[in-house]
Amino acid sequence: VIELYAVTDPPAEPLPDLAPLGALVSGDLAVVYGPASETQLSGEALWRHEEVVEALMDGHDVLPFRYGTRCANAAAATRAVAERQEELAAALERIRGAVELSVRVLVIDAAEAQPKTAADYVAAKARDAARARGVIESIDEPLSTRARARRQTPSGVPGEPLRAAYLVDRKNVDAFAAKVAALQARHTDLRLLCTGPWPPYSFVEP
Amino acid sequence: MRSKLLHTPPDVDLFAAERESVDASLSRRINADPENLERGLAQLVLTIVELLRQLMERQALRRIDGGTLTDDQVERLGRTFMELDRRMQELREQFGLTQEDLNLRLGPLGDLL
Repeated sequence: VIELYAVTDPPAEPLPDLAPLGALVSGDLAVVYGPASETQLSGEALWRHEEVVEALMDGHDVLPFRYGTRCANAAAATRAVAERQEELAAALERIRGAVELSVRVLVIDAAEAQPKTAADYVAAKARDAARARGVIESIDEPLSTRARARRQTPSGVPGEPLRAAYLVDRKNVDAFAAKVAALQARHTDLRLLCTGPWPPYSFVEP
Repeated sequence: MRSKLLHTPPDVDLFAAERESVDASLSRRINADPENLERGLAQLVLTIVELLRQLMERQALRRIDGGTLTDDQVERLGRTFMELDRRMQELREQFGLTQEDLNLRLGPLGDLL
């Protein structure tokens, strides 16, 4: 059984020496894989997977596989990729030259007391909705103009009105981070966190 | 692994509040045992309930915004949703679930909630 790490351009060399990796070629695409480990799944194992994908990302454009994607053997992986050749090739083009940056926004007065009356509750809901709209306008929109694409993954918590991934050209990463810093300086009631560069997990699918 | 922090506020710990629950939900999602199975089922059921609750609440808030309801009706709706919200919180705590656990990633369709 093999564990898949990423789809990239052939020949996928040189491979990082973090794990015993191999590369198989299927049409215009290469898949980087390694032996599947039997260790208990954990946060630490997930980071090891991530480390390999990121090392690959240094020298190549990569479509990362989610941690835990496995195939019986290299032949099965080649077949699976061949079946989706066009789709995967299009996805690789979409992310070419770009990486994923993550932005989270917290509102610092969010830890408000539980609403006691029905009117308070309704007012709090209306305030949360207005605040979320404001953050989209003042933070998300200016950042989106500096990204090729963006995808929001709602946190579900009113105190965190924005959690989004941006597909940013590698050469624009520093400028994007500087923009986040500038927005932070302007919005003292918010806390902005920007992390990356990550493999473009959020942009593998169209 | 090199640092991934491109921009951090001085009080970055605010963002680490849910780290523990992420670790817990990771192992829960992946390592199956009978207790987790029960929790998984509860998670699925609560996800559907939460979806319906949010849809109803959004619709009610829109009606309140529209100004077509009497004060009395607003009060009753508000109380109902406040109570539902509280009950959902209790159920989540009982099964060790976070608000984020009650969401489904629907691939290209986006997220359920």
